[in-house]
Amino acid sequence: MIIKDVLCPFCGCLCDDLAVEVENNKVVDVKHACKIGASKIMGHDRIKAPMMRGDKNGEFREVSYDEAINESAKILANSKRPLLYGWASGVCEMMKKGVLLNEEVGGIIDNTASVCHGPSALGVHEKGLPTGTLGQFANRSDLVIFWGCNPVQAHPRHMSRYSVFNKGFFTAKGRKSRKVVVFDVRKTDTAEMADEYVQVNPGEDYLVLSALRAVVADKADVVPDSVGGVPKEKLVELGEAMKGAKYGMVYFGMGLTQSRGKYKNIDNAVSLITELNAHGKHSILPMRGHYNVTGFGQVCAWETGFANAVDMSRGIPYYNPGETCSNDLLMREEIDSAMIIAGDAGAHFPAQSIARMSKVPVIQVDPFHNPTTEMANIVIPTKVSGVELEGTAYRMDSVSLRMRKLVDVDFPSDEEVLDKIIAKVREIKGASS
Amino acid sequence: MQTVTLVPKEQFKISVEAETITPDNFAGKSADEIGALVAFEGNAPRPLSELFDIKVDGSADAADDVKIEINGNVNRVKRIGEAMTAGLIMINGDVDMRCGAKMKGGTITIKGNADSWVGQEMTGGEINVQGDADYYVGAGYRGEACGMRGGKITVFGNANDFVGEHMCGGEIVIKGNAGIMPGVSNKGGKIVIEGDTDMPGSEMTKGTIIVKGTVKDLMPVYQREGIEAIDGVEFTKYVGDVVVDGTGELFVK
Amino acid sequence: MSEMLIKNATVYDPINNINGDMMDIAVKDGKIVDSVNGSAQTIDAGGRLVYPGGVDAHTHIAGSKVNVGRIMRPDDSRLNRKPKTKVTRPRTGYTVPNVYSMGYGYAEMGYTTAFEAAVPILKARHTHEELEEIPILDKAGLTLFGSNWMVMDAIREDDLDRLAAYVAWGLLASRGWGIKIVNPGGGEAWGFGKNVSGLDDPVPNFEVTPRQIVRQLAEANEKLNLPHSIHLHCNNLGKPGNYETTLATFDVCKDIKSKRDRQSLHVTHVQFNAWGGNHWGDIESKSEPIADYLNKNDFLTIDMGQLVFGSATTMTADGPVQYANARLLKARWSNGDVELEDSSGVTPLEYHPQSYIHGIMWAIGLELALLTKDPWKVLMTTDHPNGGPYVNYPMVMTMLMSQKRREKEMAKIAELTFERTSIAGIDRELDWYDIAIKTRAAHAKVQGIIELGKGHLGVGADADIAIYDIKPDETDATVEFDKVEAAFRHAAYTIKGGEIVVKDGEITATPKGRTYWVKATAPADGHERMMEDLKMKFKKYYSVSMANYMVQDEYVERPVVFETGYQ
Repeated sequence: MIIKDVLCPFCGCLCDDLAVEVENNKVVDVKHACKIGASKIMGHDRIKAPMMRGDKNGEFREVSYDEAINESAKILANSKRPLLYGWASGVCEMMKKGVLLNEEVGGIIDNTASVCHGPSALGVHEKGLPTGTLGQFANRSDLVIFWGCNPVQAHPRHMSRYSVFNKGFFTAKGRKSRKVVVFDVRKTDTAEMADEYVQVNPGEDYLVLSALRAVVADKADVVPDSVGGVPKEKLVELGEAMKGAKYGMVYFGMGLTQSRGKYKNIDNAVSLITELNAHGKHSILPMRGHYNVTGFGQVCAWETGFANAVDMSRGIPYYNPGETCSNDLLMREEIDSAMIIAGDAGAHFPAQSIARMSKVPVIQVDPFHNPTTEMANIVIPTKVSGVELEGTAYRMDSVSLRMRKLVDVDFPSDEEVLDKIIAKVREIKGASS
Repeated sequence: MQTVTLVPKEQFKISVEAETITPDNFAGKSADEIGALVAFEGNAPRPLSELFDIKVDGSADAADDVKIEINGNVNRVKRIGEAMTAGLIMINGDVDMRCGAKMKGGTITIKGNADSWVGQEMTGGEINVQGDADYYVGAGYRGEACGMRGGKITVFGNANDFVGEHMCGGEIVIKGNAGIMPGVSNKGGKIVIEGDTDMPGSEMTKGTIIVKGTVKDLMPVYQREGIEAIDGVEFTKYVGDVVVDGTGELFVK
Repeated sequence: MSEMLIKNATVYDPINNINGDMMDIAVKDGKIVDSVNGSAQTIDAGGRLVYPGGVDAHTHIAGSKVNVGRIMRPDDSRLNRKPKTKVTRPRTGYTVPNVYSMGYGYAEMGYTTAFEAAVPILKARHTHEELEEIPILDKAGLTLFGSNWMVMDAIREDDLDRLAAYVAWGLLASRGWGIKIVNPGGGEAWGFGKNVSGLDDPVPNFEVTPRQIVRQLAEANEKLNLPHSIHLHCNNLGKPGNYETTLATFDVCKDIKSKRDRQSLHVTHVQFNAWGGNHWGDIESKSEPIADYLNKNDFLTIDMGQLVFGSATTMTADGPVQYANARLLKARWSNGDVELEDSSGVTPLEYHPQSYIHGIMWAIGLELALLTKDPWKVLMTTDHPNGGPYVNYPMVMTMLMSQKRREKEMAKIAELTFERTSIAGIDRELDWYDIAIKTRAAHAKVQGIIELGKGHLGVGADADIAIYDIKPDETDATVEFDKVEAAFRHAAYTIKGGEIVVKDGEITATPKGRTYWVKATAPADGHERMMEDLKMKFKKYYSVSMANYMVQDEYVERPVVFETGYQ
């Protein structure tokens, strides 16, 4: 049986044109996806049953779901500063339960954006975000800039589906309808295929952006001869090209969000785009990593008013990245227990944070073994969202789509596990009040 | 004069939110009454008596006659002095985030280091940090147009990034070095950095920044005006940020 | 379900011509009935004011734009934060409340139904996700059609049946209630940073004019016999001198007739479109010619779009206006163009009484309401949160009821305002009946939901009832406006579908509301032509598959489907 129009549960491209062949309740082939997306859908070794261990260096013993859930609830209910982290590989329906669980335990809920595009949100607080849906850019952009991102590697089908190769209403010549420019500290694979590559000194993107803004504002005379490794003439040329574009598009990634200045880089990039809109039409879009990291930001925002890093210890949502993000707290050794769900903290957190997590009870809710499993005391395997479970996800441009269920499995969903933990936490807290 | 002495009973690990520690809240209260005020250790409410040894000497009718002395490290106690209107807080140790946030008046002296957001959204009063300060000295809250509007913050050591971000008024003096982007998005106020810094005054529309040390990277959006003397010392004067039609003044030695 | 009897209610139910009669209201199984037996739960209204539950025909409460506002504004979300209670979830926000506060805030004021004013089809799933989370209220969404490629192509080819078929399909795809048109054609022009300058300025690359878009969508609306008329945000919003565009736009639908007992055109937040002058320097109120037009014509209705001083977050599908505002005020700006469909922009604003421009805007909203003789023709709205947050409705209500209250506000407004407006000289004061019309009855009539049991308290209506702590006969609203505002702000009782959800201004229950949407049918051949065009557009231009596009059943858990159409 071939299931068509399947959505890929891997990256922020959220490609929805996959065709998956299922035989005897097993995925046997995936068409149209990129290698990494196909790999996820094809599936691999997974955690077979819930397990627990008191000592993180000890052996896991297999337990029932009830036991794992009850113990998890006990740990979280008795914590003063529990962290609920991850979320980005799950569906929106379970994220809502995460927000609710966080209310019940008075902890912090945070997602992978913390180590990724969290700074982009901070840039948005300063300046907003002039953007649109991917089809808007696909149909109109004649100047495409990739700044600090490498879609050839990280978002393999982005350029063919949305940004560079596809033929749109106003971009009927496909690749020839666009000029592609890459700004990066090194010549990436994406830079190799661009029309122009601009090398920026590491940590100096902010200066380059400001200089471009000066060019766009007709104030190039104050710009020095070289900024961030880019000669002034080149800056003027680029600035003028951007001004002259009919529809200029900037896609950006970790090169901006994680380098010196962090969210200020985004702030500055957004400002540049806003100012360019006085000349032509310009938009900007963060290249979100996980397929539903955007979804968490949306759910958390409508539920609590804030997109991530929400601290409920005082009973009202408090948000302050730099204070309430996972790593802010872990590096200060504040967290006294953590649930890592649909996200791999073990793989992405700095060593200091991992060191802290090694000292406190960690509950992992995930279908797969990953570095987080190494730090976990309780492991609860669940369905693979988007393959074994349907639900909502938000693409990098905030378009929400429904993931399909392709096969049936005998594991609970993240949502079912969260519901049970919430019920148990309520029981525990109710009993002690 | 009412003097309240607080000695932390332990080295807190999980941060304690103690916005109840202000001269306004303590004025006229006995040690028992002060002890009954609640702080939060994470999500756990804890009366101050559980967290501190409390001693009260003398009495006061109002905040301006109250002195609070904290003897010990409170590097995990946040929001001390929040919104205080008068009086004195002396912290003989390090202090955690948002010390003196929304302060309206009075004085806070921190003998040790201050964590991030000291003097956040301050409108009056004085804060002295004798050690170092971390990020966002005298800055605002996410998305707000203005951070500090009035008052004075002096850091005798070094400060980290984003000193005086979104400053609308008041004065900040950093005796040591400051991190990147002091005075970013400023609309007023005065920042003096006696040591080194980097990328000062980005998107400043109004205000003054004086740097006596070295600037690693000057923002490429400032108009050089010439040499000007301040208190007999010569500085190069720049005006900008030109991209935002700024008339902020940046003085670099 | 249980029975309830509300005794001694002073009822204002304009749809049933009840004007302050003291009566009992019987409720059974969530509906108003003739009578109940002795075991019914009894509420003694004690002669207090009773209205049908409030209905808000135009507000921005759910979806992409609202969430963009939240994400952009932690400075707004940090306001009004309240912890959870036994019954409620935590609340945040003032202009962009979280979903829980959104519902509770309306219910606390005695409101029970709200219409999300602008739903882009591609993002309708998001709108419904949020609507589902908003507690208590019954709701619906108005689907954007005014800059849509399918719409413009059908109009250019003069194929009304194809247009109607697309409207029907679009309402199904978005589970929408009606046709929303925002700055017709402008949303497409904004795709390249341009705008349309008026009704006859053709949309670049599509060769249709805003006039054609409005006209043909109105015709399609009536062919499909939709419950609501087209709902229109005029071109040139926010530009001095725009009132001429507004009057010309009214004329476009002058001869359109509906089979239903309602207007054939509803024009929204007209305050923003009733400006005279040529630039910011000489801007003035043109509420008089607009009110004059309303006084002479019965085919249209409007809503106010009243300004409230203080913080606002403007959010609209009028992309160009938002960019212009943001540039002017150097404010944060989020733009959200939706491929093939429309545009949007979100910008935070502050309205200052000392700005004469804001003063004029403030005056215009009230003038429109007070100068139009028939209270049914002008609904009270603030275009939440564009003119101001909905929690200020009670204040606006008192300003309509009391000249003294208006004068109190005027005392803090820039003097120049009064040379450019007529508000200072207006002494009309609306009464309890008028206010019931402007805050529930007319909204229900305009939206076509009376027959669904909304906006009135007749037998068979939904038991959505608001009891306020005011004895109408003993209260002079023209002087006791503070008391009246407080009473409207915190209902003594809000009853939703026969269940008490608010008591003494506090939430007591949070049932989930229903979502109303329209399932329309158009003739088969028009539908076929439409599907051919649609499939081509999905194949070539949309970035999502057609199979994944439409809102699925899972997103509307308690639907009420209104069926209509033509053959």
